Amino acid sequence: MKHRLVTTLAAAAAAMLMATPVLAAWPEKPVKVIVPFKPGGSSDQTARTFQKAITDNNLMPQKLTIVNVGGHYTIGSRQALEAKPDGYTFLLIHKALMGAQGGGMIDFGYADFEPVAETSEFCLLSCVRENDERFTDVKSLLKMATDKPDSLIFGANLGALNHMAGIQLQNTTPGAKFRFVQIGGGTANFTALIGNQTDTTVLSMAEYLNFKVKGVKGLCYMFPTRAPEAPEVPTCKEAGLGDLVYCVGSWWLAPKGTPKEAVDGLADVLEKAMETEYVQTMLKKKAMAPTFTRGEAFAKKLDATYKIVEPTAKQASKK
Amino acid sequence: MAPLLEGFAHVLTPVPFLLVLLGTFLGILGGAIPGITGAMIIALTLPLTFNMDPGNALSLLIGMYVGAISGGLITATLMRMPGTPAAVMTTFDGYPMARSGRPGRALGLGIAASFVGGIISWVFLVLVSEPLSVLATRFGPFEYFTLVVMAMVLIASVSQGSMVKGLLSGALGMLIAMPGVDPAAGGFPRLTWDVLYLNGGLGLLPVLIGVFAVSQLIADIVDIERKVERTKFSTKGILMSLKDWKDQAWNMIRSSVIGTWIGILPGIGANIGSIVAYTTAKNMSKTPEKFGTGYDGGIVASESANNATVGGALIPLIAMGIPGSVIDAILIGALMIHAIQPGPTLFINNPEIVYAMISACLLANLLMYGIMTSSVGKISQLMFVPRAYVLPPILVFCVIGAFALNNLFFDVWVMLGFGVFGYFLERSKVPLGPFVIGFVLAPIAEAKLRSGLMMTAGDFSPIFTRPLPLIFVLISIMLLVWPFYQQWRQSRKG
Repeated sequence: MKHRLVTTLAAAAAAMLMATPVLAAWPEKPVKVIVPFKPGGSSDQTARTFQKAITDNNLMPQKLTIVNVGGHYTIGSRQALEAKPDGYTFLLIHKALMGAQGGGMIDFGYADFEPVAETSEFCLLSCVRENDERFTDVKSLLKMATDKPDSLIFGANLGALNHMAGIQLQNTTPGAKFRFVQIGGGTANFTALIGNQTDTTVLSMAEYLNFKVKGVKGLCYMFPTRAPEAPEVPTCKEAGLGDLVYCVGSWWLAPKGTPKEAVDGLADVLEKAMETEYVQTMLKKKAMAPTFTRGEAFAKKLDATYKIVEPTAKQASKK
Repeated sequence: MAPLLEGFAHVLTPVPFLLVLLGTFLGILGGAIPGITGAMIIALTLPLTFNMDPGNALSLLIGMYVGAISGGLITATLMRMPGTPAAVMTTFDGYPMARSGRPGRALGLGIAASFVGGIISWVFLVLVSEPLSVLATRFGPFEYFTLVVMAMVLIASVSQGSMVKGLLSGALGMLIAMPGVDPAAGGFPRLTWDVLYLNGGLGLLPVLIGVFAVSQLIADIVDIERKVERTKFSTKGILMSLKDWKDQAWNMIRSSVIGTWIGILPGIGANIGSIVAYTTAKNMSKTPEKFGTGYDGGIVASESANNATVGGALIPLIAMGIPGSVIDAILIGALMIHAIQPGPTLFINNPEIVYAMISACLLANLLMYGIMTSSVGKISQLMFVPRAYVLPPILVFCVIGAFALNNLFFDVWVMLGFGVFGYFLERSKVPLGPFVIGFVLAPIAEAKLRSGLMMTAGDFSPIFTRPLPLIFVLISIMLLVWPFYQQWRQSRKG
């Protein structure tokens, strides 16, 4: 009898050991990354760049598969939120998730995921027309926005990233107020700016490099250091705007409860991929900053970012 | 000129060339098989192009567009059944001529006329689209808004059947475009009734496949027992004689120019073009009584005009991002799926795609002429393939196509729902064209109007004080009032 009890206990202990999520051998099957955007967008390109670097350099014994979920990014994000936290489903998202959270569009947020890593970011520039003699630097732009509030037309996609960047820009100067007008993304804003329909906008570094020969002037770059591709544009700090930084990082997140082995495992793989020549060349080509953060540092960065995004998103969602 | 030559050099390389060839061939087949329309085959091909280079994808789709408009004449001539709506007018003279023992000649006239129509409209495409796009870059939001309003009124007022039904269809399309991302506040979804899947709105592709492909499948299945009339086929007279070319030259040129201009008008396409050209040819003819009895001039007018609308309709698409026809609305979707912003900046930002499209259009017309004259006999055999074999695989393609873009099964339900919806609209004689144009154009109109109002702080007056918006509004009002005025005058006479 006693003997049998011991056996049972031993068996139970063994079963428990097996049931605890010790995934020494992660990954045992292909790892799925949900990209909640259509194929061809910037998030999708980032995901595929890393996928190729991982495959070509044998950085992971299993495949990394990318699943594009279209419609609206909140749909794919929720699919990732509700996925089984078994270490085989991840999400690649960016700041927009915090905008949706802060603006009250979704009832979940970044804190409902395990942070894995941030791989690269693209940063925005405050831009005007090259031949617009009213603005010599970003201070003169903000001065006019203060002297004549609500008259300078700022082209944006209302409620989206470039709108929030504009709000942060005007918040650097008390009393400054742009009139935000719905124009859309980078190309649409370039067209509206050149066509004298708007006075100012923000563009990503890649868009700026594309449009600067066609009559766009960068006033300040929202990143701590000048970009090697555009040394003529001062940072916003150099231009006297304090610590204004506006970048959009690629965030790899996991469903809450994903085993630590899998979270760290993917972060390791991404860190190695980040160092490959392929990823570095692709980032340079797209004028992205080669930032990499993981673990505690990444978690802290997310918290700090949300502190800035939340009030901005609330401001942006006021109609 | 140099970029155009580069465009040609590109489409003559193996991959784009084969894609245009494949597209033209499949388009002809689609046009020739009753129950498969050009819009359907293009909407279904779109998902297959996701992983292609955008220029190649557009080349394939434009080949299909040219092929489908041309292929319709085979069925129209041999079966008195328009393979595509664009070929309705061809049945009037093509079928009687085929019945009277000259099917080869009827087809030959139609093929040659299609070719000439395509080439003449292509010349306009090359000459007009770039200057027009330069003009359009100066369009502000009010100019765009009023232009789009004019396009929507235009398609409703000239579509088949009653104008009220056309307007109703357009309004339904606009309503369907409302849920999802607010076009004037990019970040915020609206009218979603807390359904997460509606955050992105109803997808363009599932709605298009539903309305064009699934509804047609339902109609074909309901009608599966229908017997077709057929005539004997011979290739005698498939190549037009020199005398025919001389006799028809003026008719061809006139009908092609009419077709091109009708094509340029936003929203209306091949069927209207061929109706107007046919009517004009008949009115100007010394022997108008011969039209409708198997007369050369009737076939030539209809076929040169419907092919000419293809090049014409591409002009507003390339220059302004506004669809010149229903099929162009799908091509706009193709550009957007490939993350290319349609509009006047297309020439600046993606010149290689513009010139690939323009070159593909010419190449497709040349290939169409070659394929049709050499193998029209074999293609015509396909008309008799039992539809029971054709329809099931098409439905499978529909489901895959709707799912593939977003990887969401929700989109498949949307597609099936709009298939049933489209079927009942057609049954109630409500035209589908205005529905799709309304669906595609409503977000553009709304975004432009609201960003204009944001710029002026809520002041509507630029619509009436700037010259172009005022002209567009006045034309829209005239188009709206004219049919009612005519009705009123007739009722007073009677």
